[in-house]
Amino acid sequence: MQDLIDELGRMPGVGPKSAQRITFHLLKLPREDALKLATAIIEVKDKVTFCERCFNVSEGPLCGICTDERRDTHVVCVVEEPRDIVAVEKTHEYRGSYHVLQGAISPIEGIGPEQLKVKELLGRLDPEGVTEVILCTNPNIEGEATAMYLARLLKPLGIKITRIASGLPVGGDLEYADELTLGRALEGRREVE
Amino acid sequence: MFLRHLWLTDFRNYATAELAPATGLTAIVGDNGEGKTNLLEAIGYLATLSSFRGAPGDALLRSGCERAIVRAEVDNDGRVASVEAELHAIGRDRVLVNRQPLRRSRDLLGTVRTTVFSPDDLALVKGGPAERRRLLDDTLVACAVKHDALRADVDRVLRQRTTLLKQAGGRLTADIEATLEVWDAKLADAGERLGDARDELATRLAPSTAAAYDAVAPRPARVGLRYEAPWRDEGLATALAKARADDVRRSVSTVGPHRDELALSVGGLPARTHASQGEQRSLALALRLATHEVVGESAGSPPVLLLDDVFSELDGFRSAALLRSLPAGQALLTTAGALPPGAVPELLVRVQGGTIVP
Repeated sequence: MQDLIDELGRMPGVGPKSAQRITFHLLKLPREDALKLATAIIEVKDKVTFCERCFNVSEGPLCGICTDERRDTHVVCVVEEPRDIVAVEKTHEYRGSYHVLQGAISPIEGIGPEQLKVKELLGRLDPEGVTEVILCTNPNIEGEATAMYLARLLKPLGIKITRIASGLPVGGDLEYADELTLGRALEGRREVE
Repeated sequence: MFLRHLWLTDFRNYATAELAPATGLTAIVGDNGEGKTNLLEAIGYLATLSSFRGAPGDALLRSGCERAIVRAEVDNDGRVASVEAELHAIGRDRVLVNRQPLRRSRDLLGTVRTTVFSPDDLALVKGGPAERRRLLDDTLVACAVKHDALRADVDRVLRQRTTLLKQAGGRLTADIEATLEVWDAKLADAGERLGDARDELATRLAPSTAAAYDAVAPRPARVGLRYEAPWRDEGLATALAKARADDVRRSVSTVGPHRDELALSVGGLPARTHASQGEQRSLALALRLATHEVVGESAGSPPVLLLDDVFSELDGFRSAALLRSLPAGQALLTTAGALPPGAVPELLVRVQGGTIVP
């Protein structure tokens, strides 16, 4: 039992107390329900790999987005993690392809450009006829640094490089916006046409 | 702003406690180790979400307790708000304003403002440059909360940059160089902004410190205060580029706001090495009084003054002079001995073994 608590405790966002709670919950569960969870974990580990082209999670050599012929391959949206694709997809605003870096530059965590899928991104540009790269990394120190690194790397290749805007949540009140976000929103203001 | 009411639960040696400080001076008396400073520390915690004694979060919980609560009713120009911090032994601390939890605890900063005088203040003058940089940065955050994020950004970029330099191990490969350039650009951007803010603050502090020094010191002297950042003339980007070879060789960041100094002088000589013990003490008091004034001006009303056992360290002249120089507003002082002459508290409370006796 302690083994299970320890294993669960290693999951992101799960502390020792939650791990204990989940373990006791699993103990109470009927055997088949617990097995369903175990099987799902095994299946996901066996079947799901990373897409060979964009490094999104995938059940085959290529992910669902890379095999979708309706997607525009001339635009690549670069994100840090596969879960960021889910977030962007939810907007239904984007019809291009993706590239997952699988992290952001952070020497503290031992991650440099070599540990990220940067070379793979460069390798895609020519064969896929990419005309625009959207830098969609997180708006924190490491995400911004990664975006700047990529921008400097890609600029000389004559491709249009864009960075997602940062600003105010829609439907919110200016009054409740934090100073930093509001400051950024002011910085990135646009002329009204 | 002033504090109307303070409630503690399982904070330090208090199981429960309640205090309604006077709008003027409140004196907290009691023997050593009974919990006088803990009351000031609790108020300070609401201001900065950290202990002014530098104690780690779990030290603030009463021993054996899983949760401590500090709650206060704060009056900001007639607008009353309830502020509450929940400290947890395990898991994240929580902050509530008017019973609504804040999404980020840091959003609380600026709601409660305090100026803390403590016997350790002498380190502001005698200690290393880091003490004085912290004074500048803390004052900047108290003046405008956005500086908290700026300070955090500079720290984070510096840690990343220095870690990268360590990984380089003295050799600058093309890969490392490309990444280093990115961190340099980030450091230049955030560092310039922090340097500008500190320099502007030092300029504002200089006349206030000089005036406060003459008020608290037995003998007036010419007091100087200047922010020294050698890179500011040429710009941080250029300075970093120049220092790169050296930085790579030594695996440290040799230039930037983390190496700057707030230079203090008395009578034209460096205060740290040349001033007498008495002059240093007067200068430390003057610095605190000056930050109190500047933060008060920025925020529109003076912070709450927390005087932690300062009078035990001061001679009769400086005690009386400090009391005379304290600006109007709410103040709480602690003392183990007798009240300093000239202190006329509106409220006097006695603290004994973690209880407040009126």
